[in-house]
Amino acid sequence: MIVYNTVEDIVRICRENNMLFWQVIMRADAQERMVSEDISFAAMREMYRAMKRADSEYDKNLKSPSGLSGGDGEKMRIFNSTGNNLCGAFMGLAMEKAIKMGESNACMKRIVAAPTAGACGVIPAVFLSYETCFNAPEDKMVEAMFITAGIGAVIAKNASIAGASGGCQAEIGSASSMAAAGLAYLQGGDAECIAHAMAFALKNMLGLTCDPVCGLVEVPCIKRNSAGAVNAISSAQMAMAGIRSAITPDEVIDSMRRIGNAMPSCLKETGEGGLAITPSAQRIKETLQ
Amino acid sequence: MNIFDIIGPVMVGPSSSHTAGAAKIGYISRKLMGEEIVKAEILLYGSFLATGKGHGTRMALVAGLMGMKPDDCRIPESLNIAKRRGMEVIFGESDLKEAHPNTAQLKLTGVTGRKLEVVGESLGGSRINIAKIDGIETNFSGDYPTLVVHNIDQPGHVSEVTAMLAHKSVNIAAMQLYRSNRGGDAVMVIECDQEVPPEGIKWLEKAEGVVKVTYLSLED
Ligand code: SF4
Repeated sequence: MIVYNTVEDIVRICRENNMLFWQVIMRADAQERMVSEDISFAAMREMYRAMKRADSEYDKNLKSPSGLSGGDGEKMRIFNSTGNNLCGAFMGLAMEKAIKMGESNACMKRIVAAPTAGACGVIPAVFLSYETCFNAPEDKMVEAMFITAGIGAVIAKNASIAGASGGCQAEIGSASSMAAAGLAYLQGGDAECIAHAMAFALKNMLGLTCDPVCGLVEVPCIKRNSAGAVNAISSAQMAMAGIRSAITPDEVIDSMRRIGNAMPSCLKETGEGGLAITPSAQRIKETLQ
Repeated sequence: MNIFDIIGPVMVGPSSSHTAGAAKIGYISRKLMGEEIVKAEILLYGSFLATGKGHGTRMALVAGLMGMKPDDCRIPESLNIAKRRGMEVIFGESDLKEAHPNTAQLKLTGVTGRKLEVVGESLGGSRINIAKIDGIETNFSGDYPTLVVHNIDQPGHVSEVTAMLAHKSVNIAAMQLYRSNRGGDAVMVIECDQEVPPEGIKWLEKAEGVVKVTYLSLED
């Protein structure tokens, strides 16, 4: 029976059993749910395909029920296609897809929570763009999805993946670190490299507050999906270059929990602090009422 | 921890607690009713009341009450669909005291006139808790086939029910007992590993001292 509670557990199990990171997560899932590994793999493929469908069903003409969001993903697409993209095809596409998915979520379209609905754009943005730009086979993408899930499970266990208890570091931060870990694997990183990609991404997001305007999953959530995707790519690249985090991956997760606990409740999804109480936010609130 | 709670569920946005959780509360309530719902009084509490509009909480609850799951693309259209089906929907504020911040109180009438009142809480990450049925505390997640038996608080009823389940080879995953006052109304909430066959439920409904049987089947 495979049991892991920390990133270090997963890295150790890989080393002792000569397994890959994703195989550890898949086997643990199959054992826990008492299904075959084939069924576990097929279920994850289904999630990946659901992300793909959600991406392809983006509707540039939709507005959210509040009227606050919609159409920005299309602006990104047009800008990217003019050749003025500042940061290269892959990162540009990831930013576009992140915003599109965030908008689809706000517009009540079907998405995959990863790990939450508010952060649903980060992982598909990085993964779908990678598959397109680097011609990766789908099986490989599904393997990397297991890595994101395993990292998310460890974070959920030792810290939190809910904005209401940990702030946005727990949502966009977690999604970003999950995506970074998966991306490091796709680029050929070993278990240690995967763990450090995760650590970089989460460190860069520590302290991020959850302060959505009017309590809606729109402002700042949608654009933070883009930030989470870009941060994942930069973190994976650092880890691939052989840079290592001075703070161990599990200690970064512990820090996230402590920071989340120390955060006042006005910055944890209550809409009573941060961006949510700015004059602009007040004006939006008045127009909504 | 199930990794498909981390990657997943597939759901209609924007919020796992205020949209997907709300749809699930509606869906489980529809299953508990066991028949089409013709009238729903939907009373909201706390954050469901305050920020529910922008999150589509009302649409999601109504969609669920019509049998739609949290990933059903018709959720944004549910209020119109209900109107077309002739389902009467009334929204209001719940007068519950000190409930969970994301709570919906549903007063439902079925097509045969059957009445059911459910208090559902959305706990986050689309997990829910059915906190009350017909005014008596329950507490179950809706992830297992669940049998809810309202009976008169007298000795012997628990063993009757468990004997029936054993006879039908149904294994009990968790069991809770609640009552309003000694000798008054009591409730058994039994979460099972297998589905309870319909004849077992029929038998229970006729058993002496049993006031009402509500069953959550997870079969479609
Ligand atoms: S700001 Fe809050 S609601 Fe928005 S994505 Fe971050 S954690 Fe979620």
